[in-house]
Amino acid sequence: MEGLRRLCIETVRKKGGRDRGEKQREMQRSAALLLLRTLRSRGFSSSSSDKIVAAVLFERLPVVIPKIDPVVYAFQEFSFRWRQQYRRRYPDEVLGKGDARGKGEYQIDYVPAPRITEADKTNDRRSLQRALDRRLYLLLNGSTYGAPDKKPVWHFPEKIYENEETLRLCAESALRSVLGGLQHTYFVGNAPMAHMTVEPKEHSSDTPSFERFFFKSQVIGTSKLHIEKCRDYVWVTKDELMEYFPEQADFFNKMIIS
Amino acid sequence: MLRNSGSSLRLIASLQTLIPSSSHQLLQRSPVSGTAKGKAKLKAGQTLKRSTLGRKKAAGGEPATSRGGGRARNEAIERLNRMVDSCLNAPAPVRHLTAKERAREAEREKLGLISKERQREIDQEKARAKAGGAAPEEEPVIMGTPGLDLITLGLVDKESIPKYELTVEDGRRLAKEYSRVLMRKHRARQAAETTLLRLKKEAIAALPDHLREAALVPDLTPFPANRYMATLTPPIEGYIDKVREAAKKHTVKEKLR
Repeated sequence: MEGLRRLCIETVRKKGGRDRGEKQREMQRSAALLLLRTLRSRGFSSSSSDKIVAAVLFERLPVVIPKIDPVVYAFQEFSFRWRQQYRRRYPDEVLGKGDARGKGEYQIDYVPAPRITEADKTNDRRSLQRALDRRLYLLLNGSTYGAPDKKPVWHFPEKIYENEETLRLCAESALRSVLGGLQHTYFVGNAPMAHMTVEPKEHSSDTPSFERFFFKSQVIGTSKLHIEKCRDYVWVTKDELMEYFPEQADFFNKMIIS
Repeated sequence: MLRNSGSSLRLIASLQTLIPSSSHQLLQRSPVSGTAKGKAKLKAGQTLKRSTLGRKKAAGGEPATSRGGGRARNEAIERLNRMVDSCLNAPAPVRHLTAKERAREAEREKLGLISKERQREIDQEKARAKAGGAAPEEEPVIMGTPGLDLITLGLVDKESIPKYELTVEDGRRLAKEYSRVLMRKHRARQAAETTLLRLKKEAIAALPDHLREAALVPDLTPFPANRYMATLTPPIEGYIDKVREAAKKHTVKEKLR
């Protein structure tokens, strides 16, 4: 940016007897040179030969608020009791007026549902009702692009990029093939959230070294999803995700907050 | 002092809308300034003036209406007045005294004069010492509605809450720990979000040109309105249908004018 500006200033200074058309051509040439220079200095080769894979991090947001630290609760309780000391105690008949209901109001008493569900107790990883106070991420088991063939591997839903308009559309089609439709998803933004380069290991039958871009999307408005086109699927929390990917653990640690 | 009388009169005014009475200007306003300043001069210890309109009307209305009706009305008014009295004189377990007030009370006690509230405090302490000197009430205070407070719902482990007394030093210690824990969490969260942003920028930079332009287009469509917000307890299946049915039944019962 700085270089471009300096060049513009230089060409403007050399106004003198120059032709308008010549000046414009000069500017264009210098601009093009600068762009090429910056591209080369960035250090990556032209990405047309590399393969690009769009992967989707499909998450279910927490349904219940997280547990509260006992220290925090202790302070809240202390401040509550301290304030209650200085509060007037009104007689019960006055306080009872608050329970009187108007004519058009109705109140159904309910027993609140437990926060630890059956899926928690049985550790059923396929159900979405499992860890209600944490985020759950979808993982599929099957053959994927980067892994050596004929070996099922745990991976995120992904698809190789083939001349679509944007990478987000590619990711959407990846998720669509897994879910059958996109009514219950919401893609967050047009841009990927992280990327990793996958190097080939010793024997590689496929094209080596591709870039995997992750897109974030969330489950909306449903508590049951039917996943197809894979041998197996799980909904896992962050800690369990680390078990499934031991080598890339610190990358996922950075990519996923909780 | 003036403020107190104003609020008590307002309370009575709002309660007396239950009893039909003519509108009466409870706080006289000066015609020139439009304020009540200088009008009601209250002395300390004087019983607060209360509007006697309701009582007069009851007494006047008794011979006019039937005997039974008049008596019921009188009782209702009496009950209301009793309720208002109990609210206004409701005690607090611990009196709030400023340092100046405390010093004044100590000096008065030296002289031998004890105020009503101080006397009540002394009596309370005597009663407590007599009743159960070795029986401390250990029931943990429930914050909020009985069934839906944080402990019964399992959000906090009851055992891991640190023990404390209701003193100033303990309060300060708890406050320090609270602040420490929350600030640590906040800083960790900020750091994690910065990392996320950095990863996102790197990913966008690693894209080929045409894809990068498409990725840089901001997506301004709002997130869907039915995205679930985390609540205290998970949703109960079939509850919303029950509520809708009850609503329908209620609207059917009401007469359509």
